[in-house]
Amino acid sequence: MSRRARARLARRTLFWLLVAIILVYLLLPFYWAIVSALKTEAELIRTPATYWPQQVSLRNFQSVLGNASFRRGVLNSALVASSATLLSLLVGAFSGYALGQLRFRGKTPSLYGILAMTMFPQVAVLAGLYAVIRLLGMPSLMSVTLSYLLFTLPFTVWVLQAFFRGLPATLLQAAQVDGATRMQSFWYVLLPLTAPALVTTGLLAFVKAWNEYLFALTFTAIDRTARTVPVAIALFSGESAFQQPFGEIMAAAVLVTIPLVVLVFVFQRRIVQGLTGGAVKE
Amino acid sequence: MSAGRPRQLAGGEARTAWWLMLPALVVMAIVAIYPLGQVVALSVTDARFATQRVERAYVGLDNYRRLLSLTVRELPPVVDPATGRQDLRDGRLRYESWVRILPREPLRYAAAYEFSAFGKRWVVGATSPAFIRAAVDTVVFTVWSVALETILGMIIALVLSAEFVGRGLLRTLMLLPWAVVTVVSARIWEWMLQPTRVGFFNTLLYDLGLGDGNIGFFQTASMQLPTMIAMDVWKTTPFMALLFLAGLAVIPKELYEAAEIDGASAVRRFTAITLPLMAPAIAVALIFRTLDALRVFDVFQVVLGGQRYSLASYTQAVLIDQREVGLSSAASVVIFLIILVFAVSYMRMLKVDTT
Repeated sequence: MSRRARARLARRTLFWLLVAIILVYLLLPFYWAIVSALKTEAELIRTPATYWPQQVSLRNFQSVLGNASFRRGVLNSALVASSATLLSLLVGAFSGYALGQLRFRGKTPSLYGILAMTMFPQVAVLAGLYAVIRLLGMPSLMSVTLSYLLFTLPFTVWVLQAFFRGLPATLLQAAQVDGATRMQSFWYVLLPLTAPALVTTGLLAFVKAWNEYLFALTFTAIDRTARTVPVAIALFSGESAFQQPFGEIMAAAVLVTIPLVVLVFVFQRRIVQGLTGGAVKE
Repeated sequence: MSAGRPRQLAGGEARTAWWLMLPALVVMAIVAIYPLGQVVALSVTDARFATQRVERAYVGLDNYRRLLSLTVRELPPVVDPATGRQDLRDGRLRYESWVRILPREPLRYAAAYEFSAFGKRWVVGATSPAFIRAAVDTVVFTVWSVALETILGMIIALVLSAEFVGRGLLRTLMLLPWAVVTVVSARIWEWMLQPTRVGFFNTLLYDLGLGDGNIGFFQTASMQLPTMIAMDVWKTTPFMALLFLAGLAVIPKELYEAAEIDGASAVRRFTAITLPLMAPAIAVALIFRTLDALRVFDVFQVVLGGQRYSLASYTQAVLIDQREVGLSSAASVVIFLIILVFAVSYMRMLKVDTT
């Protein structure tokens, strides 16, 4: 083998080694969660741990699915995350249209305000939101949903206004020449065009809301029935109070992650677009 | 262009715009502006949860004083009265306990840190040592995790920018750590890092001849922060890599080809072309992640609970566990100001385009 060929081989080997390391690094926790969830209770507490289940058991999954507070958490999370997403898309599309297509005084400060809001630290309003929730006297699930708009709405408005701005102004003018009002051209001409952007922002908003823990933990502190999935998994306890039921926790982890994996595989292009859209200037 | 438009039409446009913005403005007023005002107002009171007493007293800046008061004192050596020389135990010098050294009036100080310097022993006293430690821990956490994420993210991005079979799949898989619920990944890591060989890492390290199989990743104080950082790096490095990949994609290929013809080495091509052209994307990613890391809550709260705090988990614990609404609000205001400084620099860098 010539020197050059050998150097190329070495480089290729190194490259694939790096790819393999990255792959293992990314997937290791998922592997361990699945393997642990499939182990029997006796095997779980055995030392040293087995890298592969010696006896596959679905007991952990069965008991998690039979766990009322977990099931309730999934339901609560689905409800809270989807209502927060839909609300911010609706409210955000109006503002996005105004900021992206219309001309008015106070637009620049509004844009800065929205951008500032996307970085708003949730923990800064913790006690204040608690006060608002008490004042409004809303049920816990509704108040958690409302609080989620703090981080889903500014982000939605920001992405949608950028999208609306990218639409040619001639569209709006043509619609107006045809006698459509501004709202009609918004509903029938512009909004259908923004469907892809709505899907992208909706996805990201949903994942953010599904993930949220600080508000969910704080605002459901007294109302256990309103706990979302992250709270349920964080506070998961088994029959014995001393030993954490990690087999069941891992089964719950796997079950909660499956929908996200599906979303990622179906929408990966859109998600990447949405995530990187702000970082790179076109 | 608007000069040619009828005035009435322009006024109508502005009116429509504000009507359209109204719902968002109302929502933000309810969930952000008013609560923030409440937090500021509560931070100067002694408000507490779950007391029958409704009225709360104005206490001025007392809460801030309770959070932020710091003092550094020297710890005098313990002198053996018999010999008149400094007392030794197990060959180590002994010093007075901070209890007798730190002031108690008007505010009671407790030790946040002890350290040796200039041949003497010192104690850092604070009125809220947990808050001071949370602040230091959060900053250390932020600096390390952002630095590691940037370096690892760059390496992954460079690997993935090459064309190879399976690249699309790998890119999709990179979204998984980002998508997984933080609480869930925290609990998976918690299970993998158990302090005995029921945990994955203790088993693996023992099998590799490293460690005794009983490494307390969460129990040993010096290992807690590195473990938190490792967990955060796993979750956010792929996100950084995706941002960098997007940045790499816009660098024209011709630049690399020209450099290669000129005989520039791979390292030189990276420092002369990639890094400078990526600088804006890197800067944005850095500040974005810094803002995120400074408000870290989930991993600290789930894994360390009350053992050790981040700024956010301290604030939440004071509010819910200790029910000290006033003190928690003051902590919120401090965090808000810290993040504001970073956010302003972020916005300066982004330069909002409003045309």
